Amino acid sequence: MISPLEIAELVLLLAVVLLTAWLYAPFIVKVFKRTPSRVDKLLNPIENSIYKLLGIQVDRSMGWKEYFFSALLVNIAQMAIAFVILTEQGLLPLNPMHFHGMSWDLALNTVVSFATNTNLQHYAGEMTLSYFSQMTAIQFLQFTSAATGLCCGVAMVRGFILQSKGLGNFYVDFVRAITRIFIPICFVAAIILVALGVPQTLSGYITVQTVEGATQQVLVGPVASLVSIMQVGTNGGGYYGANSAYPLQNPSPITDLVQIFLMLLIPTALCFIFGDYIGKKKESLPIIVGAYALFAIDLGIAFIPNPVTVGPGLETRFGGFMSTFWTVVTTAVTTGSVNASLSGIHPLAILAAFMGMLIQSTPGGKGVGLMYLLMYIIITIFIVGLMSGRTPEYLGIKIVARDVKLVMVAFLIHPLIIIIPTVIAYASGAAAAIGMGPNSLGFTQILYEYTSSAANNGSDFLGTLGNTPFFNVSTAIVIFLGRYGPIMCLLALSGSMLGRKRATATESSLKTSSWTFSLVLVASILVLVVLTFFPFLALGPILAYFQGHLNFFSLGLWV
Amino acid sequence: MPEENKPKWRKHARPIIGMAVISLLICGLFFPLLITGIAQATMPYQANGSRAYLPNGRLVGSYLIDNNFTEPVFFQARNQSLTASGVDPDITVPEAQAQVPRISNWTGISQTTLLNLINSNKEGTFWIFGSPYLDVLNLNLILIQQYPQIYQKYVANT
Repeated sequence: MISPLEIAELVLLLAVVLLTAWLYAPFIVKVFKRTPSRVDKLLNPIENSIYKLLGIQVDRSMGWKEYFFSALLVNIAQMAIAFVILTEQGLLPLNPMHFHGMSWDLALNTVVSFATNTNLQHYAGEMTLSYFSQMTAIQFLQFTSAATGLCCGVAMVRGFILQSKGLGNFYVDFVRAITRIFIPICFVAAIILVALGVPQTLSGYITVQTVEGATQQVLVGPVASLVSIMQVGTNGGGYYGANSAYPLQNPSPITDLVQIFLMLLIPTALCFIFGDYIGKKKESLPIIVGAYALFAIDLGIAFIPNPVTVGPGLETRFGGFMSTFWTVVTTAVTTGSVNASLSGIHPLAILAAFMGMLIQSTPGGKGVGLMYLLMYIIITIFIVGLMSGRTPEYLGIKIVARDVKLVMVAFLIHPLIIIIPTVIAYASGAAAAIGMGPNSLGFTQILYEYTSSAANNGSDFLGTLGNTPFFNVSTAIVIFLGRYGPIMCLLALSGSMLGRKRATATESSLKTSSWTFSLVLVASILVLVVLTFFPFLALGPILAYFQGHLNFFSLGLWV
Repeated sequence: MPEENKPKWRKHARPIIGMAVISLLICGLFFPLLITGIAQATMPYQANGSRAYLPNGRLVGSYLIDNNFTEPVFFQARNQSLTASGVDPDITVPEAQAQVPRISNWTGISQTTLLNLINSNKEGTFWIFGSPYLDVLNLNLILIQQYPQIYQKYVANT
């Protein structure tokens, strides 16, 4: 167990997050409802000129298909641009270290990974990427993937509004998400991070002679601007291979807490917007309770063992407590940044990390976490309806067979794209080829790789070890399906709600805004996810725990 | 030709490709360059990597990156193959205290002085958050500054 002081730190930080998110949520609603605001004077001219240039009809609302395919195709166009930048960086400017272009399979993995908010990294940025690539491939996709997720989340919410004619205009949502939400928050965040010691420069690595006379390079670059969006956008892909364990990306416990705050802020705020957006404020209750109750359970599991002060794989300035806390948060919101080597983390904390990535809504990634929560709500209503023999209804909308099918497909994509490639990695010898043995520690690392890919999280054990054609291509496929599959199903679900009849609430209808329903929701999410994945978790982190391992350094490798 | 008569793909290509390019300009260039400009103008010390200098002005590295001290007259960092970053510049208070007898032996600086130095240079805590640690480069630069005679060799070898 952790000390009372550490519990106080946790509670205090989470209270600040919840309060800020609650205050910020109405602003997000205003942005997407296009309510007039004080920033219009500054931003309207810019936004309008973009709409005009691209021929976008601002007031034309889209059906689910058009919304989804606009998002998908814009994302693919962005991937294509970034792919060219990464493979041709040797010919492009701002490359003071003269890095060569990336190989095609690594570049494919990287652009798919970043355009989908995953940020799995099979490369070490400081040894691979020019400043230009870090800015125009990595940071660029971090902004756009966060904005895409957010837009899809909001679009899904719109389907539940009584008078809605469509799911909104993707292009307009996308522009406003960037200009009004991500750029302003990241601006403030980046300036704070620089003030606390994170570098921001374009003038090349510094070669110095150390005090004792050895030669050393100090690897500076445009770090703070990247770190701001990687956390605010729940992306997680770091400037450095060691991510936020690297001191220049995360210099102190203060920057550590700032980064934890940044990654929780928008996902938490999104839990509050649902009720506000559909005009029934109380309906946010099961969402926020569901997300944070599951988050609390994750934290509880992670902190069963007493965190070590400093150990292998950890950084002195964070120690076991802050490293464990970070690991749970980064998987709870599917960011995927790390402030320690995962190999140094206790198997039970890794189990908690798995839970976050398998549930995907504690509170989950940008927009997508909210979509998953709505999915779980509909599954729960369906189960409750079956048990009580009543027609399932949500917000007065009858849940029909097609809705349940879509929801089940969205839910089942996840286990399929985790379990099948994990088995293939072992059966084909690809796991053995990078030294991952058939034991609890090796299995945990391969299972984690695909879980993290499928959940669009991006944290991993493998790192540059995963830079083989097999892992680059297989994780790219998993990432792509794990991102667009569920989004498509859930937008289709929401799109079909448009214009459907709403029954008026009666005494006997299910009250989804109640505490009882919220608790049933938590229980049903746990049962669904645990039943689906338990055999795999039992062979991985749970077995590792019972074998007495304290971290993943020993015996994880094929020897 | 009017919008409606164009082939379907061309009608869609303009917003799709255009949006990809414009988002690249805003997010990939405008934003990081804006932050770089502001950071360089207002906070050059942090923005350029918290550089550390010897008293004679020689640049020796960054306070945030381990300076690879190996000689017994200096405080030394942890074995870097055991850290997550490989460049962890910090050690815990007990780790620092354990090095005091060795440094004292080699330099003649009293153990009490070294322990006081450790006590007055703890970092990493504020209010109820964090647990204390020490920056190895910072400790050693203070030693060099306070005992120029003992550490003459390192100041002179520029």
